[in-house]
Amino acid sequence: MKSALTLLLALALPAVADIDRTQKPEPSPPPASAFPDYRTETLPNGLRVFIIEDDRKPTVTFRLIIRSGSLFDPKTGTADFTAELLNRGTATRDAAAFALATDSIGVAIESDASTDAISVSAAGLTKYTPQILDLFSDAVFHPAFPAEQFAKLQRQTLSSLEEEKQQPAKLAAKLTGKVLYGGHPYGAYLTPATVQALTRDDLIAFHKEHFGPNNATLAIVGDVKAADILAEVTRVFGGWKKCDPRMMKMAAPPAMHGLSIHLLDRPGSVQSNIVIVQPGPPRANPDTPEINVLNAALGGGFSGRLFQNLREKHGWTYGAYSAFDMRKFGGGFQASAETRNEVTTPAIVETLKELSRLADEPVPEPELALQRQYNVGNYLLSLESTARTAQRVQDIDLFGLPADFYKTYATRMAAVTPDKVQDLAKKYLSTTDLAIIVVGEAKEVQPALEKIGQVTVYDQDLQPVGK
Amino acid sequence: MTPAKLLAFAATFAFLLPAGAKDEPARVVLKPIKFTEYDLPNGLHVILHENHAAPVVATYVLYHVGSKNERPDRTGFAHFFEHLMFEGSDNIPRGRLDKLVSGAGGNLNASTSFDQTDYHLNLPSNQLQLALWIESERMMHAKIDETGVETQRKVVKEEKRRSYDNRPYGSLFEELAKLVFAGTPYAWVPIGSVQYIDEAKIEEFRDFWKTYYLPNNATLSIAGDFDPEAVKKLVADYFGPIPRGADIVRPKVALTPQAAPVTHDVLKDNTPLPATLHAWRAPAQTDPDSYPLELLVNILSSGRSSRLYKRLVEKEQAALQVQAFPFLLENAGLLGVEAIGQQGVTLDQLDALVDEEVERVKKDGVTEDEYQKALNQQEAEFASGFGTMNSRAKNLARYHLFFGDANLINTELDRYLAVKRDDLQRVANKYFTKEGVNILRFPVPAAPAAK
Repeated sequence: MKSALTLLLALALPAVADIDRTQKPEPSPPPASAFPDYRTETLPNGLRVFIIEDDRKPTVTFRLIIRSGSLFDPKTGTADFTAELLNRGTATRDAAAFALATDSIGVAIESDASTDAISVSAAGLTKYTPQILDLFSDAVFHPAFPAEQFAKLQRQTLSSLEEEKQQPAKLAAKLTGKVLYGGHPYGAYLTPATVQALTRDDLIAFHKEHFGPNNATLAIVGDVKAADILAEVTRVFGGWKKCDPRMMKMAAPPAMHGLSIHLLDRPGSVQSNIVIVQPGPPRANPDTPEINVLNAALGGGFSGRLFQNLREKHGWTYGAYSAFDMRKFGGGFQASAETRNEVTTPAIVETLKELSRLADEPVPEPELALQRQYNVGNYLLSLESTARTAQRVQDIDLFGLPADFYKTYATRMAAVTPDKVQDLAKKYLSTTDLAIIVVGEAKEVQPALEKIGQVTVYDQDLQPVGK
Repeated sequence: MTPAKLLAFAATFAFLLPAGAKDEPARVVLKPIKFTEYDLPNGLHVILHENHAAPVVATYVLYHVGSKNERPDRTGFAHFFEHLMFEGSDNIPRGRLDKLVSGAGGNLNASTSFDQTDYHLNLPSNQLQLALWIESERMMHAKIDETGVETQRKVVKEEKRRSYDNRPYGSLFEELAKLVFAGTPYAWVPIGSVQYIDEAKIEEFRDFWKTYYLPNNATLSIAGDFDPEAVKKLVADYFGPIPRGADIVRPKVALTPQAAPVTHDVLKDNTPLPATLHAWRAPAQTDPDSYPLELLVNILSSGRSSRLYKRLVEKEQAALQVQAFPFLLENAGLLGVEAIGQQGVTLDQLDALVDEEVERVKKDGVTEDEYQKALNQQEAEFASGFGTMNSRAKNLARYHLFFGDANLINTELDRYLAVKRDDLQRVANKYFTKEGVNILRFPVPAAPAAK
């Protein structure tokens, strides 16, 4: 019996493997990738609703985007605090009752403010859909901003600011924003003084002005039927009253002229957090797909030039990357790495060389082919996540992108030529107008930095200090 | 109704309405994750999960080797070796491996922990053969040369500075393992000591690979859009020729009983807020007690309605954050409660509050509402996991290797739901012992660093 089976198997499988392991195997034809289907509806009160059905898990996620972020702060921190307190007490549930109601059914309701928007999301099991919608809408419609919760959040935020003084990545991000955006609202950050200047009334006013169906989109992702969930959502959100947000003419962030060096002294640092930053395009620009290929070539992943140079060639860092941060009214480009103190300046010099090289010479076709495929393939992989798809659909609305942006995204990335990358590098990556941010041990890294240019030193409160 | 039918009806009813939860909806019905598994003659365990939801494929190779397999004078070896596995092989030139994956539109990564080292590749589904080629090359003839070793020595030092030395509380886990697992191979963390990586000769790295990177010490898990019959043949072609190696000698983890509580202050100039960590020994991850322990920990610190959050963060406003966590390994475990204090709060205050809440749950147990809440949180968490092909490949392999049952990806939730409320108080008393506590404290330095 056993031998008969073995014989059968032997017949089924060829005796000799038909692979050649000395050669990279050739792929079969690429799979078709299409941006997933979704349903769009607009409720009579103006709320735009996107529904993406996904039956892999018995869960549902609601994600509301308010098209106002900290850009609209009358006082720094208003949007942040408003978002943070949404789930800490409503007109009919105090903070403890709200927490108990969500925890008891394993639902997470979270809110976060960025510069351009506030997001509120709720995720849980589909069997609790009515309860999730009830709690979610309660947090969005009727937050009470209880005085004692506001006071607690103020105190917690002051402690967090104290903690941040020893977190080099946080310090680097704050100083980068301050240097890049100057007095523009994109560069604002919390300090003990701004935290103490906030009042509960600021949050109530911000909520009243910006939270309304005409200033929001709602995405629903999960094991739902579009028609059913739309009826539920209409029942719950259909009565949401419109708001009347100020229309703001937002200036573009300031330009940058020349090279400047900003060193935040954090005594005891055994690494320098390096960020090389300059202004970049806003999200709605004509070149995003092609810019993303350019960025990948420079510092998009393990195969990018920065990683290959700073880590694989020199062993100076665990990782080196670059990114364009594209926001509604402007943005920035940054290249970053964390290096041991003694190679801080050489790492900056090499990063600047890599920036220049992109403008000075075309990326060789084989290298660019790899980066195109890296971007196209990883975009295809990202489509596996329906939550990510929902975010993209809401981004089209928030940033005013062309409706077919993601439908043409892969095709455009696949068509980028070496000449195009060089043109874009010249257009978007300056090699002379930029700022170098370093968070580290000043007494060890400052002398070498002075060889690049004049250094402004800051303390851990981000204030310039005298020499 | 016949008696038999009545019984069947009652059984259904009991299933729909768990005891003490009359208004609870029925427990969630999970969508089964189907898979097949088999061994190659050389001992490689293969798990295949076919799923055509998206044109993607994830491969996951799990080696049963981690930092606990290291010699005390060669700590950091397993993790260092993980870095070397990106260098290349006889057929993949040095520096090409990541580019092969990037150029195929994919991504890759790897990680090392106390018990395991894992390698994952995510690719468009037409590139599955590339993944099999790369992973079989690494297993069959990884190339370890002096250039690669020199570069990665430097890179790993930067990794350690970044993750351990240059951030507040960065050494916490290192200190914790040293204290709780003293005298065992769990007493050091995977990053190890850079000194030993510098001292090691290249032959030692090669020996490590020959000892542990064997098909009989590995699980290959593949999830996504593929034809299982075609893939079985490719797996046989690529991995079949790799010779089986000698059986692995597994390290012993023999803890001597802890006789008295230990307190240790960690003095660092970069500690911005006071922090304390109370830790006890706990069982290995496969122990039945692991399930009531996880639920107990939910009740202590999961969500704003949890006990520690309500007491330390809300009521007393002593802590900025508080977290209870089990850290359960193959041969031992620990249970921790960690609190970061607000400005101006003393460590004694934090310690007393943690202690009070721990003693309270030991004395009074948990309420029926808390118990139901913990079950519901666990249910939601379990049902939300395993969405991506990468997470499916990974967890199928993990459940196979450490629990001997890959199908736990579908059924482990039942083990949580079977826990009785009394079990929570029982495990609280069993593990939160007075004499078995290890307290690590991070005081804020007395005077701020001179400007």
